[in-house]
Amino acid sequence: MSLSRRRRMLPWWFALPGLLWLIVFFAIPILNQVSVSLMSGDPEKGYELTWTFSTYWDAIRDYHAQFTRSFGYAGAATLIDFVIAFPLAYFIAYKAGRFKGLWLLLVILPFFVSQVMRTASWQLILNDQGWLVARMQDVGVVSDDGRFLATGKAVIFGISYNFLPFMVLPIYATLDRIDRRLIEAASDLYCSRWTAFRKVTLPLAVPGIFAGSLLVFIPACGDYINSSILGSSNTTMIGNVIQSKFLNVLDYPTAAALSFILMGVILLGIAIYGRVLGTKNLTELAG
Amino acid sequence: MREDDARAQSALEQALDEQVLTGRTSRRRFVGRSAGAALMATGLASVLSACGITGTATQNVEQLEEEAANVRHPKVPIGDWTFSNWPLYMDKAVLKDFDRRFGGKVKYVEDINDNNDFFGKVRQQLTQDQPIGRDIVVLTDPMASRWVRSGFVTPYDLRNVPNRDNLVATLQSISYDPKRQFTLPFQSGAIGIGYDIRATGRELTSMKEFFNPEFKGKCTMLSEPYDSASSVLIMQGKNPANATIDDMLGAVEFIAQAAGKGQFRRFTGNDYTTDLTKGNVELVMAYSGDMVQLQADNPNLRFAYPDEGAVLFTDNLMLPANVAHPYAAETMLNYLYEPDVAAKLCAYINYISPVSGIRQILEKSDPDIAENELIFPTDEIRERLKVYPSLSTIEEQQMYEAMAKVTGA
Repeated sequence: MSLSRRRRMLPWWFALPGLLWLIVFFAIPILNQVSVSLMSGDPEKGYELTWTFSTYWDAIRDYHAQFTRSFGYAGAATLIDFVIAFPLAYFIAYKAGRFKGLWLLLVILPFFVSQVMRTASWQLILNDQGWLVARMQDVGVVSDDGRFLATGKAVIFGISYNFLPFMVLPIYATLDRIDRRLIEAASDLYCSRWTAFRKVTLPLAVPGIFAGSLLVFIPACGDYINSSILGSSNTTMIGNVIQSKFLNVLDYPTAAALSFILMGVILLGIAIYGRVLGTKNLTELAG
Repeated sequence: MREDDARAQSALEQALDEQVLTGRTSRRRFVGRSAGAALMATGLASVLSACGITGTATQNVEQLEEEAANVRHPKVPIGDWTFSNWPLYMDKAVLKDFDRRFGGKVKYVEDINDNNDFFGKVRQQLTQDQPIGRDIVVLTDPMASRWVRSGFVTPYDLRNVPNRDNLVATLQSISYDPKRQFTLPFQSGAIGIGYDIRATGRELTSMKEFFNPEFKGKCTMLSEPYDSASSVLIMQGKNPANATIDDMLGAVEFIAQAAGKGQFRRFTGNDYTTDLTKGNVELVMAYSGDMVQLQADNPNLRFAYPDEGAVLFTDNLMLPANVAHPYAAETMLNYLYEPDVAAKLCAYINYISPVSGIRQILEKSDPDIAENELIFPTDEIRERLKVYPSLSTIEEQQMYEAMAKVTGA
């Protein structure tokens, strides 16, 4: 093999471990599950590949409510996380000084405990007779004789809580990298602090916001832990349906089809989101 | 709490892992050249190789019987072996004592949180006739029945379990395993009415209370249809043991109608305990063993065997198919059926023991436990206890699908 040929091959060799990883742990399972989603049969006789595409339509027809709910909850949680995470990330990047490391540690600290345990702890804290629910009643978040647990609000709260660090960290990373001289330059050019924030800081933080919202929204759509612990039969998400189909009903094709529908809708959503709010466009727009 | 959610996730991961492992041998082939083409080929090959999921069809009963008749597990030294059980279902001192007396080392894992989740985790190995790496598993009646009829079990060599004679008469036989050749009881419990007497202000004794508008939104129902639908059938005066799938679907529908009116705050697994202890609800459909433990912390919590009768469930010790250490497992069973050991275990985990004669032992050592009718039901209560129906896998699927609609999934 000539030297130049070998040079050209070099990047491929670097990519090989990652490529193999993707093939073994992503492509093959995905292809396999695609075939499962097109099977038909029953749990006694087994399932055979029959190219039954109707499973997809049936799944959408039967579970569109849970799909809609999943996207609604995930969207609400993403919004809540953004509202909480942006000021927090801003504070850590610009105001925390030498305690930056400590603040970041505090943000990721909950991850040292399993998600199920953390969510179950909220189930204890948010009990109907608890202090927190009483305060929520005071401020009208919960009606006076109402409850917080076993409602959609509780599920959205749980998702927001569990995925908050995924929003904080990317926003922090972009804010921290912003060249401070740009902000100084803005004020030199008679920008008020608010205008400098709006015209300089915020547009430069868009890649972080974009990454953060995807990191929250995507896993939140498929989440089923929060709904099963903090919710009720009126708050089930598509993840709960997939779990039930896979483990209780033993309807593997529908479980697989639901997973692919979820994946497809999310991909489509991201493509649109990327187009509309895409990082490149927005930074150009601001520039 | 539902660790079963985490279980479900790991079950899914494991299922994926297994499918990946089958593709691994073919992985090396294409590393050399023309990776693209090989990639396609491998992907397609693995898809084709996975063309089908083996079902859990009912095996030839005669073949199982024959296997059971000829089984021989010779005495061998007990080395390292594995016992899979539910969390908080064993006195670890009992295990230590076993190792000391019989040698070897039992690896005791608490990895069964839910019958269906556990089945999901080991299903692939079982249907492909592979060992599952466990020598004893503990599964509740309906799942034990599914394993027996699908041939996922190894018959016991009952010569190694002479203490089997110590079992109470009612558990010497069960519908899906009349001669107890594949399953032996570990512990039993009942499904009944759990409540907080401070909240209800009165004693509750009927299953009908779960459908009483007084408790609208203030009670929970079990999401497992074997438990909840069987209990409803008993309330309606039917014996679930003889119930057909239509009876069960009718009971699920009865639950659905109440659920539609907002009667139940939630459908739960074991996690009803949080709702009850924190006062979110006043009334829960509960497992007797859980309630014994909750009462220790809060004497206002009560458990009642419903007047109409209650479901008695039994968790069974089983040797999975292709078991590696059957003699060790059988020795453990024989040991667990020694009355002294059974009494010690009973005092620790507070479920209904299948071993006779332990009440007399506990009357001396632990009179409170010996008096507790949740652990030692009176004869009058025992007469009201009923067992689960026998359904086929297809019927089970119908029932779970109907129940999933009610629980929103």
